[in-house]
Amino acid sequence: MAEVTLIDAVTMALAWELEHDSRVVVLGEDVGVNGGVFRATAGLQTRFGAERVLDTPLAEGMIAGVAIGMAAQGMIPVPEIQFMGFIYPTVDQIINHAGRLRNRTRGRLSCPMVLRAPYGGGIHAPEHHSESTEALFAHMPGVRVVIPSSPARAYGLLLAAIRDPDPVIFLEPKRIYRLNKQNVEDNGKALPLDVCYTLRQGTDITIVTWGAMTFETLKAVDQLAKSNISCEVIDLATISPIDYETILESVEKTGRLVIVHEAARTCGVGAEVAAIVAEKGLYDLKAPIRRVTGYDVVMPLFRREMDYMPSVSKIVDAVRETLDD
Amino acid sequence: METIADFEIQYSQFLDPAGKPSADIPDLARDADKLVDMYRHMVETRVFDTKAINLQRTGKLGTYASCLGHEATHVGLAAAMQEDDVLAPSYREYGAMLYRGVSMAEILMYWGGDERGSDFAGPRNDFPFCVPIATQCLHSAGAAMAFQMRGEARCAVSVNGDGGTSEGAFYEAMNIAGARKLPVVFMVVNNKWAISVPIELQTATKTLAQKAVAAGIPGIQVDGNDVIAVRHWVERALARARNGDGATLVEAVTYRLSDHTTADDASRYRKKGEVETAWKLEPLIRIRQYLTDIGVWDEKKEQALLAEAATKVDNAVQSYLNTPKQPIEAMFDYMYKELPEFLEEQRDHAIQYGDNDGGHHG
Amino acid sequence: MTTFNLPDLGEGLPEAEIVSWHVSEGDTVKTDDPLLSVETAKAVVEVPSPYSGVIARLHAQPGDIVATGAPLVDFRDADDKAAPAAKAEQKKQEAKTADTEPARNDAATVVGNVPTGGGMLEETAIAGGGRRRKGGRVKATPSVRTEARRLGIDLADVPPSGKNGQVTSADLANFRSTAAKARTPRPSPIPGRSESLRGPRRAMAKSMTQHRDEVALCTIFDDADIHEWILKRDFTARILRATAAGCTAAPALNGFFNAQSMSHQPESRVDIAMAVDTEDGLIVPVVRNVEEMNLDQIRNEIARIKKATIERSVAPQDMINFTITVSNFGTLAGRYATPLMVPPTVAILGAGKLQHDVVAVMGGIEVHRRIPLSLSFDHRCITGGEACRFLAAAIADLEKPQ
Repeated sequence: MAEVTLIDAVTMALAWELEHDSRVVVLGEDVGVNGGVFRATAGLQTRFGAERVLDTPLAEGMIAGVAIGMAAQGMIPVPEIQFMGFIYPTVDQIINHAGRLRNRTRGRLSCPMVLRAPYGGGIHAPEHHSESTEALFAHMPGVRVVIPSSPARAYGLLLAAIRDPDPVIFLEPKRIYRLNKQNVEDNGKALPLDVCYTLRQGTDITIVTWGAMTFETLKAVDQLAKSNISCEVIDLATISPIDYETILESVEKTGRLVIVHEAARTCGVGAEVAAIVAEKGLYDLKAPIRRVTGYDVVMPLFRREMDYMPSVSKIVDAVRETLDD
Repeated sequence: METIADFEIQYSQFLDPAGKPSADIPDLARDADKLVDMYRHMVETRVFDTKAINLQRTGKLGTYASCLGHEATHVGLAAAMQEDDVLAPSYREYGAMLYRGVSMAEILMYWGGDERGSDFAGPRNDFPFCVPIATQCLHSAGAAMAFQMRGEARCAVSVNGDGGTSEGAFYEAMNIAGARKLPVVFMVVNNKWAISVPIELQTATKTLAQKAVAAGIPGIQVDGNDVIAVRHWVERALARARNGDGATLVEAVTYRLSDHTTADDASRYRKKGEVETAWKLEPLIRIRQYLTDIGVWDEKKEQALLAEAATKVDNAVQSYLNTPKQPIEAMFDYMYKELPEFLEEQRDHAIQYGDNDGGHHG
Repeated sequence: MTTFNLPDLGEGLPEAEIVSWHVSEGDTVKTDDPLLSVETAKAVVEVPSPYSGVIARLHAQPGDIVATGAPLVDFRDADDKAAPAAKAEQKKQEAKTADTEPARNDAATVVGNVPTGGGMLEETAIAGGGRRRKGGRVKATPSVRTEARRLGIDLADVPPSGKNGQVTSADLANFRSTAAKARTPRPSPIPGRSESLRGPRRAMAKSMTQHRDEVALCTIFDDADIHEWILKRDFTARILRATAAGCTAAPALNGFFNAQSMSHQPESRVDIAMAVDTEDGLIVPVVRNVEEMNLDQIRNEIARIKKATIERSVAPQDMINFTITVSNFGTLAGRYATPLMVPPTVAILGAGKLQHDVVAVMGGIEVHRRIPLSLSFDHRCITGGEACRFLAAAIADLEKPQ
């Protein structure tokens, strides 16, 4: 059992799979010698060699496309895109190929790969380094999107993603890469995909969130607890496909729902959660569903980035308004 | 079997690392005014760059990408351009941008997290910094397309690094420039490192200039630390473009003397000896030596220049530090020409919640 | 006095240890002069002076741990304008050996500043999967909930009729009206013993529901004295003839009322729906054009229909499009009733059980056979006068000897 940060947990999971599955290959820019710009792959090339942990030329479309080719031919590639801001050249490959290969060959070929990328803002970074566009990938059929919010879930979910026979986009919230440590046993035990994780049980309102926003949400919940407001907090974890039964069961209990995400509002994943609950849980609702999100603007440069993002007070206010309805 | 296509890449250097001229040095080398002008800009750029790093180290600037060692490449290429040409930089070419009229304060604003840094008061048509690698190459091809369609005698210049030559966008840009004889110059700054990835891992080609062959355009490799060579060949490439003869790739070979950014630590992946050796080849030494040798420079002028540069830099720093943050609503006001109705509610919401920026979360 | 705090060294670390000062209190320094060396997790970082001025006070000594943002140095007359950036530039111009350059601490990022907390994450996380809704809670749309709240009704008290088990707004409305009356416990059927209504019974449930929702029912009760009848038979046929007579006298009762268009359509044909009780419930075949038939014809037609009805061979077209209804309900028991007509018809004549009544006659008391009559009419379009005229004519016909 070790006290590890989220980024350490990623390294641990990658090391476990590199050790136990010879088909696994890690590839990307600066992942080898440098150990990744966030040190996610630190020490892995030394331990497993330059044929298992590769520094590639600088080309994201190439990284995704080559990974698809490898995966289709029996390997398990785990490519890294250095920042979500640079993931867009991969979209052609992911939509047109990764998500379709099994379907269009009727199962003959498939694409077991995990595309990892740090995502989200709040680290005072330059332009393009703070993206939260998980909704793009959530919209693609044939592709899973997973976002861990703790070291333990980063470890367990990444193991599950690498072992999953279908493509997974694994987005790591960089703001919480090193924020906390957690005891995580390096035992190779995966956590289930396609389920939500209930982080706090409560009775007055359900809050669904994911990624770094789980921290703002829990802070807001602690504040609300002082006014005797009991909130249930659910971490979506697998952004697509969504485990809506867990959410519906919670809303059946509380009758109220607030969704918190860092990404921009329009067509964010929160809209999908709201639509599911409005369709299947309408008779349990006592109030309108609210979303607390980033604005529909380009993420501002870092002087104003915290004004763009959901804050503890914005979340508290949304919960109170929903309880007043 | 007969050979039906062949290629040849030439290398050019006019000043050696000690500042001694080669036999075929061009006329430009006899134009003391031009040379001194470029040298002044190179020194100013270095003074600015050093200060910017210090600002980051004292918590007054965000992450910053130093241009240490690239002064000859950047100033040389800008000095070759005309005012109404358009530059599409990556995120390191301060020497070129300052030469073309971008202010030091604007550059600091950008790295200081304020979009107004990209609203250049000087070169209104130049592209801003471009972070997604090599995407600017396509923009320069597009600008060249516009000039060509309108029959204007203007050119576009994009700048990207050795890492950028692996991106699809780089090839796509060169290819269309070749196919349509676009008036563009692709400046490839080979500083040997793409963060931690050395040039040997980046590509199998011996030069980056020869990637032009794949696009059917000429490519030339020059010593990027020789400002005379850089300017001379970029001028030739621009003349070619302006004459309707199409695009050129100019590879400037230099070395990234600094870390990739202030948050990088190159000592993790670079050998100490390599950096030491590279310092001996750096661009300021040789041009200063040459100017001294031809009698147009001396220590007194050097000190005066350093003092002048220091003052200019410090004034810019003050201006930057004294600029208040933009109001919150600024994040909405430039999304569209006219603010769509649905954004008004969000704008009001943001204003209502007021200033929340206490730095990053932690 | 200007205080310089330990800056964020771009490494996201919360603190640093002072290794050595390059200045002393009282020294005059210029911006960017080396100020001090600090050690973070792994190696040493040089911090340059942010100001020119005089060092007034050093807040920490070598070996001290200083938190990021905590005071480090106080400057007197601090001025960060006159910067000998030149000096720093000179330094850079000289070839540096790596020996003199301090090893850089690993910022573990390439941009920005990844915050490091160092605290332990305490959490519990329950994995979903296999969770299903339990039911057992009140279901209603938010609009119904709002309405209930406004009315002060606890939704848990309202019996739900929605398809998904939800309380509908109609349920709420019903609850309101019943709640106004004294509430008696509703009888609860024993679960599992109900059977679905089918066929005629189902049709009756539907038509009665429609009747209740639409009609303004009024009933007039009277009796027909039949002691002068020559033949004591053909009760049903006589009643049908009497009904036709009533329609002749008050044609308004023989026809249709359309509530939507508020229009009344009396008919000349008298097609009487004759309610027949069968094992399967009430069915109502139609005797057509009774106004044109004599008693024999009516009798024969009744017989034919009754046989067909009991055999369930009545064709569908024989059950529709009637203009008035007769209900001979009193075969077993029941004197008077408030029979319900089927909209859009507007009248129904009910005949109760044949009675031997004590009647008053001139000079005394006699026992006469009488048929109790109940005439229901839709008071939305039929007046009491019309109904009485109908009844009088029907009674007059019924009281004829033949």
